Amino acid sequence: MTRGIAWKIVLIVAVLIGFTVPIIPTKNTPEPIRRGLDLKGGTHLVMRVNVGDATRLEIDQAMEAIKTQSAKQSLPAPTVRRANDTAFLVVPPAGVSTAEYERVAKDYTPSFDLSHTAEGAVLFKMKPSAQAAIERDTIEHSVETIRNRVDALGVTEPLIAPESGNRIVIQLPGVDDPARVKDIIKTTAVLQFRLVEGEPSTDPKTIMQSVPPNMQNDVDVLPGNDEDALGRVTGVKYFAVRKSVPVTGTDLKNARVQKGRLGEPTVGFSLTPDGGRKFGDLTGANVKRRLAIVLDNKVVSAPVINSQINDQGVIEGSFTTQQAADLALVLRSGSLPASLTTLEERTVGPSLGRDSIHQGVLASLIGFIALILAVVLYYHGAGINAVLALLLNLVIILGMMAIFKATLTLPGIAGIILTLGMAVDSNVLVFERIREELREGKTVRASIENGFSRAFGTIIDTHMTTIISALFLFQFGTGPIKGFAVTLLIGLFASVFTAFFVSRVIFDLVYRPENRPTSISIG
Amino acid sequence: MQIFVNTKFDFVKWRFHAVVFSLIWIVIGAVMFVKHGINWGIDFAGGANIVLRFKDKVPVDLLRGLLTDASIQQYGKAEDNAVLIRLPEQKKESDYAGNTVNRLNLALNPEAAGGKVDLNFRGRESVTDLLFQADPDHKGTGPDARKYYENVAQNIISKRSEVGLFRNMQQALSVNGVTTGIAGVLNGKTFLGSFNVLNQETVGPQVGRELQQKAIWAIVLSTLAMGAYLWIRFDIMFGAAAIVCIIHDVCMSLAFLGMINGEASLNIVAALLLIVGFSINDTVVMYDRVRENRRKIKTRMTFEEQLNLAMNQTLSRTILTSGSVVIVLIALILFGGKVIHEFAWILLIGVLAGTYSTITIVPAVAIFWNNVTGRAHDLSGPAVRARVEAPPPAAPPQRKRKVG
Repeated sequence: MTRGIAWKIVLIVAVLIGFTVPIIPTKNTPEPIRRGLDLKGGTHLVMRVNVGDATRLEIDQAMEAIKTQSAKQSLPAPTVRRANDTAFLVVPPAGVSTAEYERVAKDYTPSFDLSHTAEGAVLFKMKPSAQAAIERDTIEHSVETIRNRVDALGVTEPLIAPESGNRIVIQLPGVDDPARVKDIIKTTAVLQFRLVEGEPSTDPKTIMQSVPPNMQNDVDVLPGNDEDALGRVTGVKYFAVRKSVPVTGTDLKNARVQKGRLGEPTVGFSLTPDGGRKFGDLTGANVKRRLAIVLDNKVVSAPVINSQINDQGVIEGSFTTQQAADLALVLRSGSLPASLTTLEERTVGPSLGRDSIHQGVLASLIGFIALILAVVLYYHGAGINAVLALLLNLVIILGMMAIFKATLTLPGIAGIILTLGMAVDSNVLVFERIREELREGKTVRASIENGFSRAFGTIIDTHMTTIISALFLFQFGTGPIKGFAVTLLIGLFASVFTAFFVSRVIFDLVYRPENRPTSISIG
Repeated sequence: MQIFVNTKFDFVKWRFHAVVFSLIWIVIGAVMFVKHGINWGIDFAGGANIVLRFKDKVPVDLLRGLLTDASIQQYGKAEDNAVLIRLPEQKKESDYAGNTVNRLNLALNPEAAGGKVDLNFRGRESVTDLLFQADPDHKGTGPDARKYYENVAQNIISKRSEVGLFRNMQQALSVNGVTTGIAGVLNGKTFLGSFNVLNQETVGPQVGRELQQKAIWAIVLSTLAMGAYLWIRFDIMFGAAAIVCIIHDVCMSLAFLGMINGEASLNIVAALLLIVGFSINDTVVMYDRVRENRRKIKTRMTFEEQLNLAMNQTLSRTILTSGSVVIVLIALILFGGKVIHEFAWILLIGVLAGTYSTITIVPAVAIFWNNVTGRAHDLSGPAVRARVEAPPPAAPPQRKRKVG
C-alpha cells in the first residue's frame, strides 16, 4: 500500500511540475498563454475572394487569343463576346465555317469545352476542372499576397488561412490602426503601364474626339486626378489609354518611398531584367508621348516620356506620406489575383482589451475565492482536499493551454471558472457519498472506498454530457467561443483526473488504512 | 456543516404547480418577444456595431445627423464619453463599420484632410512613417533610423492604449524617446482627433444568416445527442425526460432574455449550449440514484416514491453544486464587465432552471411516461414481482405514500 501510494504521489508531483513549467514566463515566451483578440486587441476579418475576377480574366485572355490568332491566319474577324462568367461565344461572319475558328482556337483554349449553338456559333465553356484549378490558385495566391503585406506591416503572429466558400480568415493581434491595415490588405494593386492616346479631358464624352479614328476601338477611358500647376487635386480628368498592357506590376523588382524635387513623397521603382527590357522598348519607341501609370484601373499619373528608360522609374502623384508608403508596400508585395469583399470584421481596440482582461481576471478571482471559502466551510478538512484538487485543476488547464498554444479569450475565462465549478461538483458527489456511508455506520476506510467507487459512474455521466455540449460549442463557435469550448474541454478532463486520482490519494494519505482511522473531517 | 440530512420532502406533489409556473414564465417571455420583436444582435441580423471613445463630451446630435439610420446610445458611464453606434443590416456585403468610421473621421476631424496624422486614430506604422520621412534627429534613411523612430512611435501608441486616448498633446510628448526635434514634428504634423475606436464589428448579411442557422442546429443537435446518450446509459423514458428538461431549461433562459429585451448574440448561444450540457447534470445524478435504489430495494414502492427518495438523497449535492456555480456566476455578473454581463445572466438563469427542473419537470415527465406505459417502473416487491406482466389498474397519478 505504501509503495502504491508512493508512485501515485510521484505522478501527481510530476503532473504539477509538468504543467507549471510551461506557464512560467521566460525570455523567449514572455506571454506563455496566448491571449485572444478580445483580450489583446486586434482584428478578425473574414474576406471573400471574388474568384469570378480571375475566371473572367482567363476568359478575356482566351477571347483575345482567338481574335489575334484569327487575324494572324488571315481569317475574317469573328464576333467574340462573353456569354457568362465562365463561357464565351465566337460567332463567325456570314459564309465562314465555324470549323476554321475551332482549328485556330484548339491550341489556345485547352481549358475550354467547345459546343455549337443553334445560331451557328461556337460556345467555349470553361472546363470544371480548369475552373476549380483557377479558384484554387487564386485563393492560394491571395493568401500569399496578404501574408506578404501583413508581414511588411510588422504584425506579430498573424493568422491567414483559407476557408471553404472561397473565404480567407485573417487574424491580426495587437493591430493599432485597423483602418490602414484593411486598406492595404484589400488594395488589389494591379499596376499597369499603358500608352495614352489623344489628350486628357475632364469630360469623358468628348475625349474620343482627340483619339485617332483607327485607335478608337483599342482604348479604354479611365479616370485620374486633375491637378493644378502646384500639384493640388482639383477634380477628375479622363484619359484614353491603349488596351494593350506592355509592362505590369509583375515586372517590378522593388518599390520604395522617395522624395521628389520639392520634397514631396513619390514612389521609386526598379524593374526586373526582363521587365527592364520591355520597359526600354516601350519608352524608347514612344519618346515625347504620354505614358499612363494605371493602378487598379485609375490613372495615378501620366507623365511625358522624355527619353528611353531601362531599369527604374518614379511614380509621382499627389500622395501623402502615408499613401506613398502604402503604395510602395503593396507594389512590393505584388497584386492580388482577385478583389476581396469584407464579410465579417471584429476589431477590439487595445484599451478595451485591457479593460476586459482586468475585469475578467478580477471577477474570476473573486468567484474562485468565494468558491474555496464555501467548500472549506461546508466540508472542513475534506474541503481543503477539494481546494487542492481545484488548484491542481487550474494549473493543468493553464499548462495545457500553454502547451497546445490554445487561445485564452474572455468567455474562455468564464469557461475556466465554470470548469472549476464542475470539479467542485465531482468532489461534492464523492464527499456526499462518503457522508452517507458514514451515516449508515460504515468504517472510515470503507466509507472512503465506497464513496469513490459509487460516485464514479455518476461523475463520468455528468462529465460526458458537458463534454458533448462542449464539442458542439467547438464545432459551432468562432473566435472567442471556440476558445471557450477548448478551455471547457481541457478542464473537464482535468476535473475527472483531479477528482478521482488526486483527491483519492490525499484521502489515502491522511487516513491510512494501517492507522485504522476512526473519524474523518468532512464537515 | 450539513444542511440537508435525511430530508423527506414530497417533491413530486408539486410537479403540476411547477409545470404551471414554468408555462407562465415561458409565456411571459414569449409575449415580451412578440411585443418587442426578437432583438437580434448583429451576429445574426447583420449590420455593424461601433464603440467610440471621445476626447470630450460625445457630440450626439452631430452623430445623429451624420448617421440617420443608426441607433446611438451611451456606452458605460457618462464620464467615459463613450458611445455605442448600432447600424442596421444592409443588403450588400461591405466594410460597413470601417467605412462608417472613415466617414465620421472626415466629418469630425477636418485636420486629417490637410495630410496631418491623427495621433488618436492612427497607429505605430503611420507615426513611424511620418517621423522617418521628416527625420528630425538626423538618423539617415537606413533600417537603423527606421528602428529608432519605430521605437518612439511604439512608446507613443502604447501610452495611448494605456490612457484610452490623448486629451492633450503634452501626454503624447511626455513619453520616453520624444526629443525636441521629434516633438517639433509631432506638433507641426500631427493633431489629436476627437475620437478613438474601442471596438468595431461588421457582420455581412451572408455570415449573419449562416451564424443563425448554425446556432439553431447546434442547439437542436446537442439536445438530441444528449437525449441519445442518456437513453443509451439509462432508458428511453429517461432520455425523453432529459430532452424535455433541456428544452425547458433553454426556454426558461430564452424567456428571461425576452423579459430583459436582451440581444440574441453569439455569446448567448454559447450560454444556451452550455446550459444544455450543464443543467442536465442534476438530472443525471438524481436518476442515477433511482437506478441504484431499484437494485437494492426489495419492498413494494411506487415510482413516485422512488423519485422522491432519490431526490431527497441527492438534495444536498444538488444544492451545493448549483450553489457553487451560482456563486461564481454572480461574481462574473458583478465584476466581469459589460462584455460578459448578459452571458453570465443567461447562464445563471439556465443553471437555476436546471436545478429546479430536476425536482419538478423531470419527475412530471417520468411519472407521466410511467403511467401511460402501464406503471412498469413501480417496484412490486419480491412476492408479487411475477404479476408485473398483468395489465395494472389505471392508477390516479397522485397515488403515493410518505417516503419512509
